[in-house]
Amino acid sequence: MSVAVAVEGALKVYPGPPAPVHALGPLDLAIAPGSFVALLGPSGCGKSTLLSMIAGLEPPSRGRIAIDGRPVAGPQTAIGIVFQSPVLVDWRDVLGNVLLQADLRGLDRRALEPRARALLRSVGLEGFLHRRPWELSGGMQQRAAFCRALVHDPPLVLMDEPLGALDAMTREQLRADLERLWMRTGKTVILVTHSIEEAVQLSDRVIVISPRPGRIVRDLPVELPRPRTLEVCESPPFHALVAEIKRIFQGYGLL
Amino acid sequence: MASSEPLLAEPAAGPSRLRVVLDRATGPLFALAFFAAWEAVVRLFEVPLYIAPPPSAVLFQLWRNLPRIAEYTLVTGGETLGGFLSAVILGVPLALAVAFSPFLRRTFYPAAVTLEMVPKIAFAPLFVTWFGFGYLPKLVIVFLVCFFPILLNGILAFGSLPPELHRLCRSTGAGPWRTFRWVRLPAAAPQLFVGVKGAAVNATVGATIAEWIGGDAGLGYYIQIATGDLRMDLAFAIILVLAALGLALFGLVVLVERLLIPWHVSQRRSSPGGGWG
Ligand SMILES: Nc1ncnc2c1ncn2[C@@H]1O[C@H](COP(=O)(O)OP(=O)(O)OP(=O)(O)O)[C@@H](O)[C@H]1O
Ligand SMILES: [Mg+2]
Repeated sequence: MSVAVAVEGALKVYPGPPAPVHALGPLDLAIAPGSFVALLGPSGCGKSTLLSMIAGLEPPSRGRIAIDGRPVAGPQTAIGIVFQSPVLVDWRDVLGNVLLQADLRGLDRRALEPRARALLRSVGLEGFLHRRPWELSGGMQQRAAFCRALVHDPPLVLMDEPLGALDAMTREQLRADLERLWMRTGKTVILVTHSIEEAVQLSDRVIVISPRPGRIVRDLPVELPRPRTLEVCESPPFHALVAEIKRIFQGYGLL
Repeated sequence: MASSEPLLAEPAAGPSRLRVVLDRATGPLFALAFFAAWEAVVRLFEVPLYIAPPPSAVLFQLWRNLPRIAEYTLVTGGETLGGFLSAVILGVPLALAVAFSPFLRRTFYPAAVTLEMVPKIAFAPLFVTWFGFGYLPKLVIVFLVCFFPILLNGILAFGSLPPELHRLCRSTGAGPWRTFRWVRLPAAAPQLFVGVKGAAVNATVGATIAEWIGGDAGLGYYIQIATGDLRMDLAFAIILVLAALGLALFGLVVLVERLLIPWHVSQRRSSPGGGWG
């Protein structure tokens, strides 16, 4: 089996001051190409740190990380990143924000524009191409951020609590959008989340991480049919998985 | 509620035409009333000219000395604009350098702060002995009073890119130039304009004081002559022109700001203060 992302013995200690913080690890993880993997763990367990290390934005203190067999040393460019906040820039309209990806990469903006338009259409933003970010709701802004992370067609997408700042109803809608985008594009996705339901609903595999220093305590395959419709999310196997994960966190006194 | 009511009702009618005109006219009317009252008080109580000249006398002086005032406005305007522009041209790149160079932050920056603490007027006589009575010493003084607000706000502007935006830039492989061009510079622009506007406010003050201390031309020099002769009506006329000069420069900067960063919260028409307003 080929591996899209390989994490071997990765460990991160932030040196401080005031005192060194052992954020996470050592940790081993192999992620198959095209899979949707959720990193689920309590706040402060090092999920964002792990994502930063995979993106090459933060070096591991020990251990190795490789993407498609190539060791990560420095910022990775064949990835798309989505943050908790949309991080759209006010001086560009929605289409321009998606195409910021092209400008920063020194690519031809016109070459990427059809793809940007198609992505924006697929998340229902075709009527807002020339609106500025502040004219959009939070959910619409985050949809635009998804498009920006996908427009350059990266094989790997890293998402750090992308739905964390949204209200419950918008969150439900965006989960469906996210699954649809993923099913169509077949990218490898690593999704960091706090929400057990979200992890189970979206992913092929839930990696449960312990409180800090984060270690993998469970690696659960999610073998539910896709798309994960309301019926799937109300089925007994779905609830069984959610309950199983809840029990793990209960064991840590977190629930 | 009647179910036939249209879903999208006509937007509520805005304020009436008369109301808008009245709102617009409030400022000018107030100014007019103020000067009329001034004129009346000065005439009624026969206040001597050297204490408070009536506005009519000020206008008369402005008109009678127009050639000289026009000539000196060009002089002062040139110094103001020259010093201001050189402060912008040098200040913005230096702010960028200080924001990214720990070395400059430890050497140049404290020196600039210390210099800012010294009243610039104290340098004026020194500059006269260095550069004479001409254009250059005034330009240097204007430069000094304009430079610091630009530097300070520039450092703040370039140093406060949201970390996530920075991470996004890094993940695209964009080098310093592309990051600067597409993200850092536009992100810094609003704060840069805070500094440039502060500089614009200081500029005419700097030019006037510089001429006052060691000049043989310009509006600052002319005020000194007028007050020396107790011709307060002329002095006030010159002050009026100086105010207009300062406003013109400030207005120019505001105009450029509106053209360059129409997207910024401060420039949006609809929601003053960005919501709730
Ligand atoms: N730049 C940093 N310098 C020092 N310590 C850090 C830094 N970033 C994170 N940490 C520490 O590392 C630990 C893990 O942080 P991280 O942000 O990865 O957690 P997380 O799992 O993403 O938490 P959350 O779910 O709240 O986002 C935390 O205890 C935090 O204090
Ligand atoms: Mg985090």
